[in-house]
This record gives sequence, C-alpha cells and structure tokens, in this order.
Amino acid sequence: MVEMQMDELIDPNGAPRPLASAVMDLIARLGEDELRARQELAELDIQTMGITFTVYSDGQNIDRSWPFDIIPRIIEGSEWDRISLGLQQRLVALNRFIDDLYNDQRIIADGVFPADLLDQSVNYRPQLRGFSPKFGVWAHISGSDLVRDDDGEMYVLEDNLRVPSGVSYVVENRGVAKRAFAELFERQRIRPVDGYTDELNRLLTSLAPDGCDDPQIAVLTPGIFNSAYFEHSFLAERMGAELVEGADLVVGDDDFVYMKTIEGLERVDVIYRRIDDLFLDPDVFREDSLLGVPGLIRSWQAGKVALANAPGAGVADDKVVYAWVPDMIRYYLGEEPIVANVPTYRTMYEDERRHVIDNIGDLVLKPANESGGYGILIGSRATKDELDEAVRAIEADPRNWVAQPILSLSTVPTLVDEGVEGRHVDLRPFVLTGETSYVTPGGLTRVALRKDSLIVNSSQGGGSKDTWIVDGRYGSMYDSSPPDSPPRSSQSQSQSQTQRGEDG
Amino acid sequence: MVLLARTADRLYWGARYVERAEDTARIVRAYNDLVVDYPSDELLRWDPLAAIHGAAVDIEHPADDPAGERAVLRLLIEDRANTSSIASSVTAARANLRTTREVLPREAWQAVNQLAQYVDSTASAAIERQLRDRFLLRVVEISRRLDGVLESTMTRANPYRMLRLGRLVERADMTTRVLGVAAAGILYMERSDDAQQVNEEVRWMNVLRSVSALQMYQRRVRGPIDAMTAVDFLLNYSSFPRSVRGCLDEIRSVLVSLPAPQPVLVALDEAEATLATIDLDGAEAERLDSAMDRVQQAIATIDQAIHDRFVGTID
Repeated sequence: MVEMQMDELIDPNGAPRPLASAVMDLIARLGEDELRARQELAELDIQTMGITFTVYSDGQNIDRSWPFDIIPRIIEGSEWDRISLGLQQRLVALNRFIDDLYNDQRIIADGVFPADLLDQSVNYRPQLRGFSPKFGVWAHISGSDLVRDDDGEMYVLEDNLRVPSGVSYVVENRGVAKRAFAELFERQRIRPVDGYTDELNRLLTSLAPDGCDDPQIAVLTPGIFNSAYFEHSFLAERMGAELVEGADLVVGDDDFVYMKTIEGLERVDVIYRRIDDLFLDPDVFREDSLLGVPGLIRSWQAGKVALANAPGAGVADDKVVYAWVPDMIRYYLGEEPIVANVPTYRTMYEDERRHVIDNIGDLVLKPANESGGYGILIGSRATKDELDEAVRAIEADPRNWVAQPILSLSTVPTLVDEGVEGRHVDLRPFVLTGETSYVTPGGLTRVALRKDSLIVNSSQGGGSKDTWIVDGRYGSMYDSSPPDSPPRSSQSQSQSQTQRGEDG
Repeated sequence: MVLLARTADRLYWGARYVERAEDTARIVRAYNDLVVDYPSDELLRWDPLAAIHGAAVDIEHPADDPAGERAVLRLLIEDRANTSSIASSVTAARANLRTTREVLPREAWQAVNQLAQYVDSTASAAIERQLRDRFLLRVVEISRRLDGVLESTMTRANPYRMLRLGRLVERADMTTRVLGVAAAGILYMERSDDAQQVNEEVRWMNVLRSVSALQMYQRRVRGPIDAMTAVDFLLNYSSFPRSVRGCLDEIRSVLVSLPAPQPVLVALDEAEATLATIDLDGAEAERLDSAMDRVQQAIATIDQAIHDRFVGTID
C-alpha cells in the first residue's frame, strides 16, 4: 500500500509551498554540507546552554541534550488564527465540563454524557465533589496534540490537561533556530514565542486567593529525576518564581502553605504543580507519597492557596471522554467546533464496537488512560494474534477503549542521515485558560526521525523542530542580489564600525 | 527576596566545589611549572602534592613513572573515587547548581555547564604533559568567568551571599592546604635521600604561585622570598584576597548582610582567634603542618555553623 501523505513545506509537485520558499531556497543554496555544519552548531548550542531532557533508564547520565532538527515547520498566520480560536473554544468547553462534573452534573442529567462513563473514570476525584476553583477553571495549562491528515485538515488527536510538558522547548528551540537561520528571521514576520512565561505569570497571578495582590508563586516539582525537570526549572527561572519540592513546603495550622526559607517560613499563594494528582497530598490521595505536601488539598479547598492545574482536571483528558468534546462544545457553548476531533469509535456502544471489531485491521486502537503512546495498537501493522487479543480486550472492558482511523500524518523535510527527507510530525500548542485565554503561536513540533515511523516521543528517539507562524507572503529572500554574490561581506560591517568610531 | 533553605545549601556547595576545582588546578599548575623548570636528570617527586586534599595516599611508583607524576595527576585531575579531584568537584558543582538555575544568572549556569563538559571530555587526556597546562588553565579561566558573571550580573541578595560564602570558605581552606603541602614537601625531602634539595627560595616562590600570590607578594615585600614572610603573607595579609585572613574578613562582611548570622559569627570569631595564635617563628615544617591542621579545623567549624544556621531548618 502506498501511503499518501502531505508535506507541510513541499507541494505535491515537489515545489516549495509559498510560505516555505525562503527556507527551501536557503537550504538549496547552502547545500548539504553547510546545512549539516549549521545543524552541528545548533546541537553544540543546545549542549552549551544545557537544554536537556531526562531519560529514566540512562544510568548516571540523567540528562541528555534535547533533540532538535534545524529545518523549521511553517504554518500560515491566518490558518493558525483559526486553530487558535478553536483551541480556546475547546478548553473553555472542557473546563465547563469538568466544573459541571464536580458540581451539578447537568450534562449527565440532560443525557448528553453517559453516567457510567464517569463512574469508571480513573481520573475523577470524588473527594472534590462540590468544589469549584476561581473562575470555575480547572485545567489552566493544557497541551492538546494536533495532527494534519492527508486531507490537509488539522485535527485534535488528544488533550493533555494534567501536567503537559514541552513548552520550555518551544521557547528554547526558537533561540537556537534564530542563531542557525538568522538570515531568515531578518526577512520574515515570524511570530515570537518568548511571551509564554509572561502570560503564564499573568494567569497564575490572577488565580491568587482574594485579597492577595502580589502573590508568591511557586512551581512544585517532583525533583531532579523527573523527566520534565528541565522544564520545571525553566518555568521558575523565567517567571521569577520559586522552584520547590514537596519537602520545602508545609501547611500550617492556619491552613496556609509555607516554604522553608533561610529566614524561616514564608507564605506561598499560588502553586503551579507539576506533580500528578495522586502524589500531591498524602492526607487525601496516596498515603505513601513522599513527593507531596500533607494538608495541601485542605489549604486549597479553604481558599488559602491556588493550585494550577486543579487536581481532578484529568477527568477530561481520558481518551474515551475525548470522543464527547464536540458534544460538549455544542452543549455548553451552543457553537460548532472550530477544530475537529479525529473520528472516534466508542466501543462501549454496541454498534460502534461491532464496527471496530469488523474493521480492526484498518484502525488505531487506544486505551483510555495511558500516556506517552503506550498500549496503542496500529491495526495495519499488527499480527493476527495481536488483533485477536485486542478484540478480546475490547470485549472484556469496552469502556476502556476507543478506535480511530489510521491517519497519515503530514511530513516536514528533515535532515537525516540520508539527506533532507520528509518525516512525520505532530504539534502540541499550549493553551492557557483563566479569566481569559491564550494560545502559544505554534507550539512544539515533534518529528519521527526514522523513515515512515509515527513515533515522535523524544524518550523514544523522536526529535523536535522550531514551529514558525508566518504572516504574509514573501518572495525569495535572495531576489535582490545576483545568485553568485557572496553573503553580506564583513567589509560593510567593518566600514560601519569605522564610521561609528569616527563619529564617536 | 526569599531563599529556600534547600537552595541555599546547593548554592553554597556548588560554589565550594567550583572553587575547589579551580584551586586544585592552580596548585597542580604551579607544581607542574616547578617540575618542568628542573633538569630531567634531577628527579622531583610528585608525592607531596597528593596531600592537598588531606588524604595520606600511598602513591605507587612503577618503573615507567618513577616520580609518581602520572599517578598523582590522575588522583588530582580525573580520579572519580577521589571526591575532591577536579573531575569529581566539577561534577558535584554542576549537580548542585543545576538545581538552582532559577536563581542563577543564565550565563552563570552556562559557564558551569561548559566547565563540566570540558572537564568530562578532556580530563583524562590532561594527564599527558602536552595538554596538561592548557587544561588546568582553562579550568581556572572558566571558574573565573563564572565569578565574573556573578560579580557583574547577580543581584546582591541572599542567593548571591550563599555563593560568596561557599567560595570564601573553600578558598580559605585551600590556602591552608597549600601551606600544608609546602610543609609536607619539606618534610618529605628532609626524609628522602635521593630527592633533590630544591632551594628554599624556589620552593616558596612555587607556594606563592600556587595561589597566584607571587606578584602581589613581591610588590609588598620587595626582597628575597623566605618561608616566614611567605607564610605570614598567605595567612595574615588581609589585603590579599586569597589570604586566610582576607577570606575570613570577607566572610564576615557577607554574613552581616544575611538574616540572623550570630551563630556563624561566633564560629568566625573562634577561627580568627585560632589564626592569631599561630606562631610563625622560623616556620619550620612540623609546626607549620600542625598549625594548618588547626586552622582547617576552625574553618570546618564555620562550615558546620553555616549549615546549622541556614540549611538545618529544612528538617
């Protein structure tokens, strides 16, 4: 079978798409050797800057350099504006849904969402029934994964509402790309991504308990062995927040949360927690957790501290609940979804289950609550035995599965051993939701470095790319000079320096 | 500005380890200079140098390394089992400062990271003579760059002060070790028959060079170099920033800006009193050696007091 796929930068005739012409022209002009030299410099840059990610099973060497491919992915501004609105719409609806589940459960009463789905949710926290955080928002920071199919349409593949990672690499990739392709940044309008931490700071500040105007903000990390430690540290650094571990915090008799500082206990008002729900507070969730803070949930429910994301928000990033998001948008907002879901079959319904079982070889089967690509079965690449076993698993626990058509993810030209070739990508934009919403311009593009592979996770050998949201159309950046003229010479630089010297 | 007790601890130790790597590099470099100056038929042993980290080490002298050169250099530069070797110190510095990045200037973290990468990739090659001096100099330079970044871009607040304390405590300690090594060297030579008697002036010149003090000493003393004056300079000449007294003075000025420093100031007073009791008359080796032990003890007490006051609050 020949897989049709769409390339983000190259049209079906093999010519660069208009927005990609400057990049593709430059790449052609540089030639492979120079491109590889720039790739190496970018990697050195990443090493020197200490941009790393953590791999659990790597012995002593817990932090590895972040994998980065020099060729960017490019999306047109007007397309992005629509996607961006769609993501904001989606997160507003998801948050209304979460708040509804913990309170009135109107959506169940009205027969739009099935009650038994909630009963079997592993990420629902019944301890929190009847509580509603400020603005009614639970998932403040989310990262929904987008893919483009061969029909050219962008689809939401899944929502990550608990502790989504990767935004630090969006910002860092840009810094590296700017140095690698400085000449392109001078000539195009590429939307900056640097503002994320300011937006996050603004969001977290707005969550502060009432009457607290200048809140002390902390990022709560499980510590240096966590796979996203780099990001935790990055966010704290860029926001000027404290980076704390559970052992640094204590909840006082007055229910306030305090940090242990060299001057004694200091109050904390807002916590961006990067620890999973069940490890947050041994008094309420897992008793054996050493990562969390006893009493934290009590303090939160008493309104003495704000938590982002709110515990329990994960109830809506269940892969089965995902299938209901378009209905949620219609139910809560009375609007049609702007960005579509991937068509999803719910094996809990008999007719859809029948369809899945009959067509399992053409579908992707996903368990409800695994992350990082675990437990996924791609029908067309599975053996007969694996398919049979999958059918048995579905019949044993129909609520735990959904199935989707096999998408052919779009590709982006990527520098690999064989030269520059198309490799599959996905995209994770980050959405901030509070009183207002914000979407990162672009997001984290992850790329499968092996030919035809769909695995983009960095822990499994995937790479990343800078993502450019570009406004307007530009011709080739070299139009103004003859093709063989040298790049702007050092002569003109030294002239201007001389002039400056004479003037001063 | 708040400072977590845990972060304070890591800043302090991160700075101590960087200083330790830098000072070890300075000492090895100076000794290396001394050796290279000597004609090759005069065997100058490396054993005394092994004493700088306080370990009484038996250095093997195989036939192809009769002076113990490679063995001592391996111990001081790349040996991971020696927790004070340059490689171990730099790794420990990076591990500590990696977890305090949010309070450090970015360039500071990059300097530490770069130092760690350089040492990881180059330390074993630096045992060989051709690369040795360049390696040691580079370790000193990156460490200096880190200090420059902190001096010129870091807010004078508690995180900065904890870094300063770490640097100064380690520096004072290392200066006493340099003097201890000098004493050990003299004792060693007095006992060995085959070793060349390096003349006193050259030996003390080397000691001063180990802490980059030779030029400043010459400008101050303007005369021949002798043991007593050199020891006095390194212990008591407070205007020289690597002298023990100079370090203690600066520790005091940092401490008074930190919250509730009294318990540490008490330990500092005791260290100064200990320093004042050292009788320099003649500066003979045995007495110098045991005097340095006493000063090191006093510095260890300051270290413990810093821990108890600023970090002990974690638990």
